Amino acid sequence: MARITAGIASSHIPALGVASDLDRTAEPYWAPAFAGYDWTKAWEVEQKPDVVILVYNDHASAFDMKIIPTFAIGCAESFMPADEGWGPRPVPVVMGHPDLAWHIAQSCILDEFDMTIINDMAVDHGLTVPLSMMFGKPDAWPCRVIPIAVNVVTYPPPTGNRCWALGEAIAKAVASFPEDLNVQIWGTGGMSHQLQGPRAGLINREWDNRFLDRLEGDTDELRHMPHIDYLREAGSEGIELVMWLIMRGALGRRTRALHRHYHVPASNTAVGHIVLQPE
Amino acid sequence: MSDLPRQPRDIHEYLAEFDDIPGTRVFTAQRARQGYHLNQFAMSLMKADNRERWKADERAYLDAWPMTEEQRQAVLDRDYNRLLDLGGNIYFMAKVFSTDGQSFLQAVSTMSGMSLDEYAAMMIAGGRSPVGARSIKDGN
Repeated sequence: MARITAGIASSHIPALGVASDLDRTAEPYWAPAFAGYDWTKAWEVEQKPDVVILVYNDHASAFDMKIIPTFAIGCAESFMPADEGWGPRPVPVVMGHPDLAWHIAQSCILDEFDMTIINDMAVDHGLTVPLSMMFGKPDAWPCRVIPIAVNVVTYPPPTGNRCWALGEAIAKAVASFPEDLNVQIWGTGGMSHQLQGPRAGLINREWDNRFLDRLEGDTDELRHMPHIDYLREAGSEGIELVMWLIMRGALGRRTRALHRHYHVPASNTAVGHIVLQPE
Repeated sequence: MSDLPRQPRDIHEYLAEFDDIPGTRVFTAQRARQGYHLNQFAMSLMKADNRERWKADERAYLDAWPMTEEQRQAVLDRDYNRLLDLGGNIYFMAKVFSTDGQSFLQAVSTMSGMSLDEYAAMMIAGGRSPVGARSIKDGN
């Protein structure tokens, strides 16, 4: 049977992708942000996941204002890196896992999560930057990827509680897939950042670290945090952190942290990263 | 287990809280409707050939979109705070500044009332503190 063996959370800051693509990760500005991922890169080489379910948000790349799905699942054979205005990132094509993706889509719909099914989609920095952070610069990504795109741009995004419950439904779906697969689930985006208005540049180190604290152990306090708390405390784009709760919800009642990293700044944003195991 | 959910279930109550955050425009349905064509214009710059046409004559390119004159002028001025007031969303506006060859750091700094150097220095020093920036009503 397929099983979820670990959860990872990570920021998906576009500037980290640019630093990786241009081989600038050793520069003094970028080195501390990347250093916190060295442990995870080595650990992933040992773990050899077959599939990563990658929760992220599209930043006006695959989805424009015409169609705004709250939860979309990528069921295609492959996903091309998106041209976000300066040409696509020079990273490998992302290979999907249509059998497992369709299984999750069907199972979640029966479980009353009305997923949008996507058969053709380009993937932007929200999805490809975490792959670069965890796997570096290989010729091909070492695993299959199932994109789960969440609307966190047009309000209201899904509640934290709904995200957590979707994670639980995804875990249930994975557990009923007959093939023996090592599956990880990643939640991406955040941490505190605000990319707009006179309050731009907001960072809240203390709040971010309290958020990381509450991903560990058996607390489910975060599922009831209202959107307004993210907006006030973590900046307007800090709302991306609700996506981490899909990952956390999929790990079951209790988790253990294997690795944790926090660094300010990368561009406008606080970098946060944690590796969790279900217990 | 936690207490009952604190997330408001009433949409009016939910939206009203957003106006209490200093220096912030939350991308509500109202803004999404106001900015629909502005954002779709920006989205069109995802295509390389559109970027070429845009660079060749910005005014003519904008005139082909059913936007308000205020929105067109704010795009020509690259006045991002104004664009957000007129329904622009930052991820869509990013197509405009990316086409200009600007990074998020450069473009975002223009909204902060600081120079790029001052803004970059603030970020390196740990970013803008949330203290005093959480709520207009509570002044915290």
